[in-house]
Amino acid sequence: MIRFLLRRIGLAVPTLLGVSIVIFVTIRIVPGDPVASLLGPTGSAEARERLTKDLGLDAPIPVQYVKWLGNVVQGDLGRSIAKQTDALPYVWEAFRNTLTLSIFAALVAILGGIALGVLAATRRGRVASGFSTAVSLFSISAPQYSVGLILIVYLSAGRGWFPSGGMRNPTGDSGFGDLLNHLWLPGISAALVPLGIIARMVRSSMLDALSADFVESLRARGIPEWKVRWHAFHNALPSVLTIAGLQVGYLLGGVIFVEIVFSWPGLGLVVFQSISQRDLPVIQAGVLVSALAFVVINLIVDALHGLMDPRIRR
Amino acid sequence: MTVVHQITDPTRPGAVEDRPDEVPAEPDVAPAATKSIKRRRLGWPARIAGSVCALFFLAAVAAPLLTPFGPLEGDRSQRLLPFFSGGHLLGTDGQGRDVLSRIIWGARPSLLTGLIPVFVAGLVGTVLGLVAGLGTRRINSIVMRTLDVFYAFPAVLLAIAIAAALGSGTSNAIIALSVILIPPIARLAESEVARIKSADFMEAARVSGAGWLSISIRHVLPNAAPAIVVYCTALVGLSIVYAAGLGFLGLGVAPPNAEWGLMVNDLRQYTFSAPQISLVPAVVILIASVAFNVFGDGLRDLLDVRAEGK
Repeated sequence: MIRFLLRRIGLAVPTLLGVSIVIFVTIRIVPGDPVASLLGPTGSAEARERLTKDLGLDAPIPVQYVKWLGNVVQGDLGRSIAKQTDALPYVWEAFRNTLTLSIFAALVAILGGIALGVLAATRRGRVASGFSTAVSLFSISAPQYSVGLILIVYLSAGRGWFPSGGMRNPTGDSGFGDLLNHLWLPGISAALVPLGIIARMVRSSMLDALSADFVESLRARGIPEWKVRWHAFHNALPSVLTIAGLQVGYLLGGVIFVEIVFSWPGLGLVVFQSISQRDLPVIQAGVLVSALAFVVINLIVDALHGLMDPRIRR
Repeated sequence: MTVVHQITDPTRPGAVEDRPDEVPAEPDVAPAATKSIKRRRLGWPARIAGSVCALFFLAAVAAPLLTPFGPLEGDRSQRLLPFFSGGHLLGTDGQGRDVLSRIIWGARPSLLTGLIPVFVAGLVGTVLGLVAGLGTRRINSIVMRTLDVFYAFPAVLLAIAIAAALGSGTSNAIIALSVILIPPIARLAESEVARIKSADFMEAARVSGAGWLSISIRHVLPNAAPAIVVYCTALVGLSIVYAAGLGFLGLGVAPPNAEWGLMVNDLRQYTFSAPQISLVPAVVILIASVAFNVFGDGLRDLLDVRAEGK
């Protein structure tokens, strides 16, 4: 198990290096000359040369990359142009809020998806199965921003049942109840796509498990049907959990639209505001942090899968 | 039956979440002659969805004929009119522009920024898949490990980062979307090539002295194409949603032009004053997404060789 884990971590290192290269490239493809934009049109040739040297732009690209990577590893992701603070603490603060929203949405998606999937697998050919298949197809197709706006209009703006945005009431006690109240609508909007995916996965794994020989033998021994289904569900669980775990990773990067629609103070909102301010260091720091989190979550999911299913620990 | 809901690896075990009910474990060489022709028809949900998709395309092509108002033409005194008033079927927006006309005109950039990336990524991804699948082990691992890197990003965020770095604009949004769509297509193509490579006719072609290029174009490509085309079709709905998302973020078409994502963001400020109108573009994108996905799904069921076994 330890060797399996070590190998997985070893495999993640080149991936992370690749990630850093991609992000470095996105810095370099920004149109325009940074030196010219810093100096303005009146900068002399001499000043230009000096600034180029100060910024390290005269070095060959690979040297610049290594230098940049060195800074990143030490936690220096550059400074926010708009906020004039270090990008990392700013992004990290927002990332924690995104994590809260993602975990809540993942819980909704996993519980709802399993319920829907089991329904579809065990009530095949009936109305309930058609219904749950249609619901999962619809929820997979539903764009987060559309769902979010529809929920705001019908459950918040008109009714006042839920707050239409933000994470906490400025005047409230900012306790857990307040947070939960703010979590429902964005959580559901973000949960729909993974919910549909998990429902499909549960359905197909359950169908696979239910057609296995051991189910036949359980039935032959006169075990009650619900117990048989429980056994089948148990067997379907590892692959379901893998997909569900991956969904947490996708949510981390994917909740951006939900955050914007609901003014949730997370990474997505920060990135969105940075786009209009062309605050590239913050955008890059945001992408880097969520890519890192994505890789880490994939590692954890792999490890859990290995723990549950010894066969994949080759 | 698979709807592509996000950028994942299509060849990964479990990536095909939904399979036809109980596919019997038939050998691949099931006699084709026993299959009845009449089963190969689109189901009614897919047909309805296909008609809706066709309507969207028709609206985009015939926009000047269908719209009573221009997309930019607005009267400030007529702002935020409710549905069905003053000849405005879907009301007017904050600047008094006819919402229906803007939706119809907006279908052009919205569908184009959704379709072109799929097309571009389909071509590039297929070529990469062919190169990786037919090349030496070394070439294969260089191509595939490079593509692996893109799976370490949440795809939406990567598209946003690329589009933001390139600067807003339709062509940059298209480039950003193409980049994130290439890896899954290339992986699928590579796995298809790997499957075809072991077929007997490939051996025959090699023995008869066919060259690398001739093998890939005349033997591999025609066999790999159906799976790739179907997968690309399934990507269209997702691509349209992402494209509108980039527009929503202000990274696509520039205002005041009509584009669905941009309209969503523009009308968002009227959630409280004109809730119904503020939802129109959001609902249109939702309908388009569902329609393209259901249609892609049906097409997949129709063309998927494996599904024939049921």
